[in-house]
Amino acid sequence: MPTNDTKQRSAQQWVVPGVAIAGGIAYLIAGIVGDDLGFGIFGLVVMVTVTVVVLAMRGRSETLKGLLDRRDERIVQLDLKATAFAGNVLIGAVLIAFVVEIARGQDGSPYGILGAIAGVAYLVSLIWLRVRE
Amino acid sequence: MRNRVRALRQERDLSQATLAAALGVSRQTINSIENGRYLPSLPLALAIARHFDLIVEEIFDADE
Repeated sequence: MPTNDTKQRSAQQWVVPGVAIAGGIAYLIAGIVGDDLGFGIFGLVVMVTVTVVVLAMRGRSETLKGLLDRRDERIVQLDLKATAFAGNVLIGAVLIAFVVEIARGQDGSPYGILGAIAGVAYLVSLIWLRVRE
Repeated sequence: MRNRVRALRQERDLSQATLAAALGVSRQTINSIENGRYLPSLPLALAIARHFDLIVEEIFDADE
């Protein structure tokens, strides 16, 4: 009989493919609404292809399998570190773009808003984790 | 921190894959632990110790 933990892990492995397919559908809808059907179809095809490749390769790659089912604590930690690194790179790029836009005499948008969102998200996350852990 | 995971596994004639399956982790993770590249969490260290019917201190040594 499957336990709650098993059910949760089984459901968890569909999160990444689900988000990828949802992103593809969002691209398609954006393409239709923005009168650029080509972009929408291309975006959907790319996201579906990525999903199919990831699902097909998970039997051959322990890392992919671990990223999908979240069972292996080391791979989960690697994912968290890689995500934090990517987030730092993104925040750095946003801040540089903000400064460049200001130097060009612009108001810094949309980079100022993006930087503010990142800052608020960090603070909320830090406070939440501080209370919880 | 040193550990005796490789020695214990080899004493019992277990492959990395077999031990990994028993502990619910990947073979890469067992390899990383054996080579000292990855320090397991307390729950995983306890699971390893229980698997070998030992206590954590008999497998992991912080002093060395």
